[in-house]
Amino acid sequence: MKESKIMLIQYITGIFILVLGALHFLAISALAPTSDKVLYQYANNSTSTHTLTGGTLYYTTVTTIYHTLFWGSIFELLLTFLVFHIFNGFRIILSEQFPGDRSEKAITYIMLVAGLIIFIWGSKTVVTMLLGGGL
Amino acid sequence: MAIENKKGWIFWFNPLKYSSDKWLYALHRLTGIALGLYLMAHVFETSRILDGPITWNSTMVFLDWPFGVHFGPYILSGILLAATFHALNGLRLTITESGLLMPKPYRIEYPYKAKSLRGWNMVLKILLGIFMIIISIFGIVYIFTGVIL
Repeated sequence: MKESKIMLIQYITGIFILVLGALHFLAISALAPTSDKVLYQYANNSTSTHTLTGGTLYYTTVTTIYHTLFWGSIFELLLTFLVFHIFNGFRIILSEQFPGDRSEKAITYIMLVAGLIIFIWGSKTVVTMLLGGGL
Repeated sequence: MAIENKKGWIFWFNPLKYSSDKWLYALHRLTGIALGLYLMAHVFETSRILDGPITWNSTMVFLDWPFGVHFGPYILSGILLAATFHALNGLRLTITESGLLMPKPYRIEYPYKAKSLRGWNMVLKILLGIFMIIISIFGIVYIFTGVIL
């Protein structure tokens, strides 16, 4: 693929990430399915051991978000765009640091494999949770 | 053909030779690398939800109180600042580099002042600063207090 086309995709994915990333932030803050929007709620803050009892990052809150088709789709789309944007960004930076046709090819393949691993790993969480996963 | 950057990454930081654009570019790359590494950690961290409530909640507590120190909000604030800057500067780059604000072709007239993106670029940089401050205040207040302004 031409570099100009790849850069265009880089810009487009960046814009999508901006929108979906903002939604992701809202999912664990203003739109979280809790009355209190605080991130962490502890049983007793004065002790050295902290027991989480609520908050937007509490297990049941997060699973409720994950089990929704809307949020699951948002997270999966965000992951897809992020993986492309980040690993293409890494590829550009590394190719500049290690110039040459051979190294550029090697960097491209390494980034492709690394990106796929992260994509599969992240997708496994999103899809499993969407199908009712979590203990 | 592109000219090779023979000095490597250190060439991103040259205060003597370049303008604020170059500094924004260096910061864009640095925040990009940091956010990329964060994504990998975030994918690992969120996958812990599949191990059930005990593992998940203890992971969250560890992230809020790493090694017994309440450092989590500072890390989150750092991520928020990096993401906000990278997003806003990315928008500026998308607009300027794709020539969206370029003036229409014109007949050159006295005093032969070149029309370019210069003015618009400055406006975008000022907007970047303003939005950066607003989003940072809202975000950091929320992270530390849970209050949505």
